[in-house]
Amino acid sequence: MIYLKALVLFLLTVNVCMADELLDQINARLTKATITRGAFEQTKQLKVLRKPLISNGTFIYHKSRGIAWKTLSPVPSLLLISDTRLWTEHGEQPVPAAFGKVFQAMLGADLSQLSTAFDINGTVRKIAWQVSLVPKDEMMKKVISRMQLSGDHELRELEIFESNGNSSILHFQNIIHPERLTAGEEADFAHLSP
Amino acid sequence: MRIYRPRIAAFVWLLGLLALGIAGSRVLTADWLETGFLALLPATEQQPEIAQAVRRHNELINGKIICLTGAGSAPQAIAYAGQLKERFKQSGLFKDIRLQVDQQDFAKRYQQLFAYRYQLLDAQTRGMLLAQPEALIGRNLEMLYSPLGQLEAANLERDPLLLFSRYFTAQNPGRFTLEQGVVLVQDGGRFWALLIADMADNKLHLDNLDVLRELMNGAQGRIEAAGGELLATGMPLFTAEGSHSAQREIAIVSIGSTLGILLLLLTFRSARPLLLSCLGIAASTFAALVVSIMVFGKIHILTLVFGASLIGVGIDYALHYFCSSFSSENWTPAKGLQYILLGITLDLGTSLVSYASLGVAPFPLLQEIAFFSVIGLISAWATVVLLFPLLLTGFKPAHKPAMLRLTNYWQQHWPAWLLRNWIWIAPVVIVAVAGGLWQLTPRDDVRLLQSASTERLAADQKIRQLLPVRADSQFFLVSGKDPQDWHRNEQALLARLETLKQQGAMETYDGLSRYWPDPDTQRDNYHLLKRTFYEAGLLRRYMAELGFDEQAIAAEQQRFKAAENSRISLAEWLDSADEARKMHWLGCDANRCVSTVSLTGIKNLAALSQLNDLQGVRWVDQATQLSSLFERYRTSASTLLIAAYGIVMIGLGLKFGWRNALMIISVPVFATAVSLSMLGWFDQLFSLFNLFALLLVLGIGVDYGIFFFLAEDERSSTSLAVTLSAITTLLSFGLLAVSSTAIVHAFGFTVAAGILTALLLAPLVGKQTR
Repeated sequence: MIYLKALVLFLLTVNVCMADELLDQINARLTKATITRGAFEQTKQLKVLRKPLISNGTFIYHKSRGIAWKTLSPVPSLLLISDTRLWTEHGEQPVPAAFGKVFQAMLGADLSQLSTAFDINGTVRKIAWQVSLVPKDEMMKKVISRMQLSGDHELRELEIFESNGNSSILHFQNIIHPERLTAGEEADFAHLSP
Repeated sequence: MRIYRPRIAAFVWLLGLLALGIAGSRVLTADWLETGFLALLPATEQQPEIAQAVRRHNELINGKIICLTGAGSAPQAIAYAGQLKERFKQSGLFKDIRLQVDQQDFAKRYQQLFAYRYQLLDAQTRGMLLAQPEALIGRNLEMLYSPLGQLEAANLERDPLLLFSRYFTAQNPGRFTLEQGVVLVQDGGRFWALLIADMADNKLHLDNLDVLRELMNGAQGRIEAAGGELLATGMPLFTAEGSHSAQREIAIVSIGSTLGILLLLLTFRSARPLLLSCLGIAASTFAALVVSIMVFGKIHILTLVFGASLIGVGIDYALHYFCSSFSSENWTPAKGLQYILLGITLDLGTSLVSYASLGVAPFPLLQEIAFFSVIGLISAWATVVLLFPLLLTGFKPAHKPAMLRLTNYWQQHWPAWLLRNWIWIAPVVIVAVAGGLWQLTPRDDVRLLQSASTERLAADQKIRQLLPVRADSQFFLVSGKDPQDWHRNEQALLARLETLKQQGAMETYDGLSRYWPDPDTQRDNYHLLKRTFYEAGLLRRYMAELGFDEQAIAAEQQRFKAAENSRISLAEWLDSADEARKMHWLGCDANRCVSTVSLTGIKNLAALSQLNDLQGVRWVDQATQLSSLFERYRTSASTLLIAAYGIVMIGLGLKFGWRNALMIISVPVFATAVSLSMLGWFDQLFSLFNLFALLLVLGIGVDYGIFFFLAEDERSSTSLAVTLSAITTLLSFGLLAVSSTAIVHAFGFTVAAGILTALLLAPLVGKQTR
C-alpha cells in the first residue's frame, strides 16, 4: 500500500511531458538574467585515452554579447562564442554545426529555441529538472548522439555523448548574476564585435 | 550608241552575288564571330597564351549564379532557398544546383586527403614546427580541452597530433555556419542561405537568358510576397539584363524603321523603292560580312555593329536614284542613272577615303571596321548601278508627292531666311558651339558598356559584402613550364600577396599552392615532422601525457614510418578539391601549366598590378585594361577622322575647285562641331563609339553637300532625297539615342545631332551659284 501511495505522489509531482510544454516548465524555473557568471569543471572521456581530460575555469554569459569561456587549468585559454562567430586567440573559426547557438541557449537559460533543433524528452520535478536532447540535424547527429542537461533554478550539469563513444561532463558552480561586466570581460567581448 | 545594257549589268551583279553566296556558305558555317576583348588589342600586344587562359577562366565563371535568400530566421531562410532550388530544378536551365553541402562528397574528400596528413601541412602548423614544436602541443591541448573540440578529437586515435583537422580547417576559413547542411550567413538580425547554380549553357544563348530572367523575377516576386528577400548576382544575370534592354531597343528601332518605310511608301506610292532599298542594304551587308571573314578569318561583334551602321550611307544612293524620278517628265532608269552617277560615285569615293583612313591605325577593330564598311559601300554602289536600272524598268511615279512640295518650299525659303538673318544667327551659333566644345570631356570607362539595373548592382554589392565573392575580372594568372615551376612561381606570388594583405591591399587571396604542396615540399613537411616529433621523442612524451597507451604510441610510429614515401599528386588533390578550388586550375599543356590566383575585397589596384613583374605572373584586370584600350582607340580614331576630312577636302578641291570644296565640306564639319558641342552641353558620354557616329556624319554630310552642289535645276528632287535620307537615318540610328546602354545611346545621340545639322545646312550649298 505504501508503494501505491508513493507512486501516486510521484505521478503528481513529476510531469513527464513533451517538447515545448516541457521547455516552458523548465524555463519557468530558471533564473532570468542578462549576465550569468560561474565556474566550471569539465571531464572529457576520450575512448582512446586511458585517463579523462579534466579542466576547469570560469565562464561568463551575456545575453546579447555571447559567451566567454576561460579555461584556467591545465592549459589557459580563452574562447568566445556568439551565435554566428567563434573566436580563439589564434583567430576566428567557423562555428561547428549549430553549436554556438545551442551552447548559448543552454547557458542563457533560454531553452525554448532548442525545440527546433532537437527532439526533447525529460522530467520536471518541483525544483529540479532533467532534459535530454537528441539532434534532428543529420550532420550534427553524426557528431553528437545525445545531450543531457539537469539543474534547478540554474543549469548545473551538462553531459555530451558523442556518436563515436567519447563523452564530456560539465559541472557548473558558484553561479551568480552580476549587474554588469567587468572591464576585463568587456575587453574580451570586444573581440567579437566586428 | 548604247554602252549600258541593264540586263548584262544585272547579270554581272547576280554572278557576283552567287560567288559571294558560295563563299558565304563556306565561311559562315565556321566559327566566325569574335567576342573577347583581348582580340581588340593591337597584334603586337596580344599574347595568345594569356588570351586563351583568360578565355578558359571566363568559361568557368560565365554560367555561375550566386543567390542568397534572406529571412528573419534561419529555418525560414533555408526554406526560401529550398523553394528556389526547386524552381531552378524545374526550369532545366542548370546543370548543377548546390544548396546542401553534399555530406558523402565531404566525407570522401576527407578520406582521400587524410592518408597524406604527414605531407599536407597548413602554413601555420609548418611555422610552429619550424619555430617551436612545443607550441603545437600547447595548441593541441587547448583544442582538446575546449568544450567544442568534438570534431577535432574525433580522429585523435589515427591523428594524435591533429595535423589533418588543422589542415582541413585552414582550407575552409571564414565564419559561416552550416545548418541542415546549408551555408548560412548572418547580418544583423537577418539570416541568409546560400545557393549556387551553374547554367548548363555557359555560352549564354539569348532564349535561355530570357527564361532565366523570367525565372528570377518570378522567384523574387514569390519570396518577397512571402516576406523574404532574394539577392542574386552572376554573369548570366547581367547578360540577361543587357540582352533584355537590347531587345527592347531593337523593338524601338524597328518601330522607327516601320515609320521610315511608311514614309517611303507614301512618297513613292509604290513598294518597289522600298523593296529595292532593303535588297540593297541586305546585299551590301552580306557582301561586307563574307569578304571580311574571308580576309580576317574571324570578325569582332563590334565590327558587325558599327560596320553595318556605317554602311547606312549606302541607302542614300538608292534614295537619290528614286527621287530623281520626280525631276523630269520623261524620266527613264537610264537617264536617272546618268544624272546621279557622278554624285554617288563622288560620294562613294569620299566615303571610301574617310572610312578607309580608319584602317591606318594598328588597332584590329578599326582595321576590320574600315575594311567591312569599304566593302559594304562598294557593294551598295554596285547594286544601285548594276541592278537597279533593270529592276526600275517602267518605274515612273505619275504623282507629285506632298512631301516633294514641302521639301521644295523648304529648300527655297530656309536658305533665304538664314542668309537674311546671319548677322545675329552666326554669333549665337558660334558661342553655343564653342561653349559646348569647351565642356566636352572624354570618358572611356568600359563599365559604361554595361546596362545593368541599379537593383541588380545593389544586390551584387550586398552579396559581396556578405560573402567573400572573388573578383571576376581582376585576378592573377600564374604559369610555369611544368607543375614544379608553376608551384614555385605561385608560392612567390602568394608570399608577396600575404604582405600586401597585411597592408590592407585586399581582404583575401586564394591560390591552389596554398593547399597543395609540391612533392619537394611534401617531402620537407614529412621530414620536418620526423625531426621535431617522431624522432625526437616529443611524440612519445606528448602521447603518453595525454593518456595514450604504449600500444597506441607504437601504432602511430608505425603509421608514420609507412607513410614516408607517399606523395599526393596535383591531379589527385584536385580530384578531392571543392568546386571553388578546382576553378583555379586552368590545366597544363605541352609547354606550360596555368592557374589563377583569386582576390576578394580589392582596395589597392596599383599595388597589385605591380606584382606583374614576378616570374610567370600576369596581372589581369579586364575592366581597366579595356578602358585604357578604348582610350587609345579613341585618340587614334580622332586623329584619323581629322585626316579623313583633309583627304576628302583635297579630293573635292581637285574636282570642284577649292572654294566649292570648302562649301561642300563645311556641311559635315559644321554638323560634327554641333554634334560634339551637344555632347558637351548635355554631358553625354564621349568615347570611341561617338567617333564612329561622326564618321557616319562625315559620309552623309558630304553626300548632302555634293548632291545640292550638283543639283542645278533639280534642287526640288534633291531636297526630297536628302530629307528622306535624313529622316530614315534619324528613325533608325537616331532612335538609338533612347537606349539605356550608354555607348549605344551616345552613338544615336551623336548621329541625330549631326544629321539634323547637316540637313539644315545642306540647302545653303549651291544656292549662291544660281
